[in-house]
Amino acid sequence: MAKLLVYSEEAGVARELLAKARQVAGTQGFTEVGVVALGAAAAATAAIWGEWGADVVYTVAEPALDVYNPETYTAALAGVIEQVQPVVVLVGATKRGLEVNGRVAERLGAGAVSWCDDFSYDAASQSVTAKCLVYTGIGNNTYRINVLPALAAVPPGVFHEQAFAGHSAAVIAVPVAIPAARMRVLANSVKADTGRRLQDAPVIVDVGQGMRNREDLAMAEELAGLLNGQVACSRPISSERDWFPEWLGLSGLKLSPDLCITLGVSGSIQHTIGIRESKLIVAVNSDENAGIFAQADYGIHADLYQFVPALIEAIKTRSVTKK
Amino acid sequence: MKIVACIKYSLTLSELKVDPATRELRLATTPQRVGTIDRNVLEAAVVLKPEGSTVHGLTLAPAGAREAFREAIAMGLDDLTIVDSTNWAAGGPMATAAVLAAAIQKMGDVDLVVCGEASDDGVTYQVPPRLAERLGWPLLAYARNIALAGATLTADRDLDIGMQSVACDLPLVLTVTQETNTPRRPTLMDAVKAKKKPVVVWQPEADLGLSAEALQAAGGVTRIAQEGIVIARKEQLFQGDDMKALANQLLDALLAEHVVAE
Repeated sequence: MAKLLVYSEEAGVARELLAKARQVAGTQGFTEVGVVALGAAAAATAAIWGEWGADVVYTVAEPALDVYNPETYTAALAGVIEQVQPVVVLVGATKRGLEVNGRVAERLGAGAVSWCDDFSYDAASQSVTAKCLVYTGIGNNTYRINVLPALAAVPPGVFHEQAFAGHSAAVIAVPVAIPAARMRVLANSVKADTGRRLQDAPVIVDVGQGMRNREDLAMAEELAGLLNGQVACSRPISSERDWFPEWLGLSGLKLSPDLCITLGVSGSIQHTIGIRESKLIVAVNSDENAGIFAQADYGIHADLYQFVPALIEAIKTRSVTKK
Repeated sequence: MKIVACIKYSLTLSELKVDPATRELRLATTPQRVGTIDRNVLEAAVVLKPEGSTVHGLTLAPAGAREAFREAIAMGLDDLTIVDSTNWAAGGPMATAAVLAAAIQKMGDVDLVVCGEASDDGVTYQVPPRLAERLGWPLLAYARNIALAGATLTADRDLDIGMQSVACDLPLVLTVTQETNTPRRPTLMDAVKAKKKPVVVWQPEADLGLSAEALQAAGGVTRIAQEGIVIARKEQLFQGDDMKALANQLLDALLAEHVVAE
């Protein structure tokens, strides 16, 4: 019995991990693909996971788990793993997933790797091989994990969700005692959902710190609009300036549009890992030595405030479009 | 009150190159320094420090690198403990957390441990949660707007989906991000004073009673291959003062690539 278990507090990420698990279950010899649903609310809708590829949904229907707290979630996930005894656990590498992943691994004495983008289980040797991004994506390491279960933290966006019509899941309630958390959650403020699906945009206009003012985003939006694209940004633009809820990079989204136009992006690897799967990259930067030029197909050494309006004008004049 | 700031002598990743032919990562020639996130760690520890408290630096690093910590000490550490990794054969986050936990326990009576959310180079995000688990303390990760009132720390946790405001009694492990604060620049006077601050060197086996072999086996993770990622781009640079000409040059290129249509 070689079970694979999927956990992410983000339903979308759990769907991605489940799709991959379902796809490799047959070839790698997993006898069961399970998913963890924590909290009373999640338990009530557990059956929906069948069509996303799960054979079994393991629920811990404690109302305390309806609010995310790393301590209670660690207790719940560790408890489920102990009782289910999977050989592989795929954990969504969100910030919440990462803080739980490390702590669960330490508690259970499980082997754990971060930034995994491929894995295989070998029943004969009772080991898991995991390929992981290292040094913020400059390289790959391949690890052999022989203390099972292997906990693999997988970045969002590596795998792609898939519906398995007609597939259904059994729901099993797992009794886990959830101790009171010492860290008390006082309030949660959720970033406004913009409803944008950056993953589906054929063109991304990627804004960096070279863009000085929020009002200047209008020209990025206009450029993106002309090419059927969306505007995205680097981490400081989101986390320090709060112009967008999400950012591109190692700790953020990873996109693979047909065309990515960076405006005032310096080109740190932590950021470019979010755009390097783009088919074509155009970089606009006023610094001739900006690292982004070595990671772009076409570099424009110019002040974006002068170049972007000219580019918008040229696109309009020549009726350039993106289908 | 006793605060420990965990910092790391890290690879400077902006200097890490991949051999294009062999795809080997040129780690040996990549310079090392105290990480940029560690400056946020030191700033947070020093700012939080209440009157009459002490802040102690802790690192697992080769003792020979002690000079590299001069500026870190100058930011406000009372002393630095280097657990010497020169002959330490255990790698990976599990072994690192074990070393840090053992050192913190040996220091004794520690109330607060501050770490970066992840190191500059390893970036596994595993060490702080593992350390918290080893110590049996809560982990307050990704903290911003940190405040300490008596023995209770409050902060906003910067999660992917939004902020989570929390309160937690000491002792605890706190992690900070690059957004948490703006690290101070030590003055010349700070640097002079730093030279007089004690630097203690401990050996993981002799002083902390740890076994690299046992930790390596318990970690259960062995690296079997490594390769650099090489993504070839055209790297064609357009420049000039005529913006209209540049824009048309770029559009011609994009049309030739068939990523857009005219």
